[in-house]
Amino acid sequence: MTQTAPHAPPSDPRQALAFRHVSKHFLRGDGSSLEVLRDVGFDVPAGSVVSILGPSGSGKSTLLNMAAGLLLPDDGRVLVLGHETSGTVDWSRLGYMFQDDRLLPWRTAVDNVGLALETGSMGKRERRERAQAQLAVVGLGEFGSSYPHQLSGGMRSRVALARSLVTEPDILLMDEPFSRLDAQTRTTMHTELLRIHRERGMSIVFVTHDVEEAVILADRIVMFSPRPGRVHTELSVDLAHPRLGTPEALTLVAELRAAIAGMSADWVI
Amino acid sequence: MRAPTEAPKKTAGSASLALRRSALLVLLIAAWWAASLFSPPYVLPSPVRVMQRLVTLAESGDLFYNLFTTLWRVLAGFAVAVAIGVPGGILLGSNRTLGAFFEPVLPVMNTVSSAIWAIFAIIWFGLSPLTPIFVVLMTALPLIITNVWQGTQAVNADFVELAQTLRFSRLKTLVKIYVPSILPYFFSGARLAFGFGWRVSLVAETLGASSGVGYRLRQASDLIQTDQVFAWTIAQIAMMVVIEMGLLAPLERHLFRWRRDVRT
Repeated sequence: MTQTAPHAPPSDPRQALAFRHVSKHFLRGDGSSLEVLRDVGFDVPAGSVVSILGPSGSGKSTLLNMAAGLLLPDDGRVLVLGHETSGTVDWSRLGYMFQDDRLLPWRTAVDNVGLALETGSMGKRERRERAQAQLAVVGLGEFGSSYPHQLSGGMRSRVALARSLVTEPDILLMDEPFSRLDAQTRTTMHTELLRIHRERGMSIVFVTHDVEEAVILADRIVMFSPRPGRVHTELSVDLAHPRLGTPEALTLVAELRAAIAGMSADWVI
Repeated sequence: MRAPTEAPKKTAGSASLALRRSALLVLLIAAWWAASLFSPPYVLPSPVRVMQRLVTLAESGDLFYNLFTTLWRVLAGFAVAVAIGVPGGILLGSNRTLGAFFEPVLPVMNTVSSAIWAIFAIIWFGLSPLTPIFVVLMTALPLIITNVWQGTQAVNADFVELAQTLRFSRLKTLVKIYVPSILPYFFSGARLAFGFGWRVSLVAETLGASSGVGYRLRQASDLIQTDQVFAWTIAQIAMMVVIEMGLLAPLERHLFRWRRDVRT
């Protein structure tokens, strides 16, 4: 199964996403301006897992919304597969997973997954088949006809993951997607995500405030400082998977935590 | 594993409920019958006499003709109320300025008695089917608008954002996010409106129609045919119960089977 939608070749095929001198302000209710991002620049190489690590209020979600084309930067450029988000981008090549599962309560699991395919003109039967196949990939093949309220938090999270994957995106944007799960379920989801990444090779931008989660998942960590969000440190993580509990990973987590402690007092870890 | 233990309990529960309901019905009929022994038939006819009257009304075709005449008028008024109320409610819900401007109209419309609408209708339409239809419309409309409006306020902004990330068009977002979110509100409003509509249609028919259950009720009361008044009353209650339990309740269970609290 390959993406059939035609698209122009990106100008730089090695970068899935690129942020260049991106700044963003928001207008507050009282009319004053809030600086959310200041001169942010980094790349997401094609096929890599990049974790954006930062405390709340460092503009991480804003950055993802810019990558998804829901927001435009005040200054600078955001490039998706080499195309500027202010221009024409084939948005079907992006998947988005939210902090909450955001499943429609009136749809069964398989119809929730199929929702992501309803943008185009794909027939109902094919949508259903693909959604069902994707549910099987996340281990929920038996639960297609269940309604969200009948599923556990971990299962709902899997359905949401399947919905963001069913379009077979080249880039997956994830906004703290597992932060509401218990530790054990989260670890399972990390393993699942890494497995699917190995199989599909898409680029993943994973926003989190959890240092350990970033270390476990990412090929590259972009650490943000608090408001206004700026790139504080960028580092590669060249450790073999699985990393959970390995001495190297634990050392890196400790180092990053020390760096954060020197940077921000209100970053709870 | 839970099903086998639950199922017998459930049937036992519904069996005992049916038993209690039947006991209540028997008790009421018995009290009615006892009271009728001490009253002349034109004040309180006996249950047997009313049943006989119901049978003759049914045999002559009179019963069903008038029941369906009234039902048709209720449905017509209700349909117009839905056709205006649903887009109206969505419009008022999606435009804050418009909503704030028209907000006072709804409670005012709700306070106007159906008898007043009936009198206006007679002035405007005379003795015609339009009179009960108009009264049903004016009663049902504010209920439907209010509920649909409330429904638009209850649409989860997160779902709309989800639709945005999926690049849904406005129409697609309306159909796939807004409509399913509003549907429960619309349905409860529509049920309320239908019940009210049925009751006010009788008022309208007693005042300004030459057929229908309401007209026949007034005619029977004018001629002091008390057994007929009772027969029509029972017939219209039975009709409402059949529509409610045979159509609306199962429809609601089916439409909202995704809800946690609805047991199928």
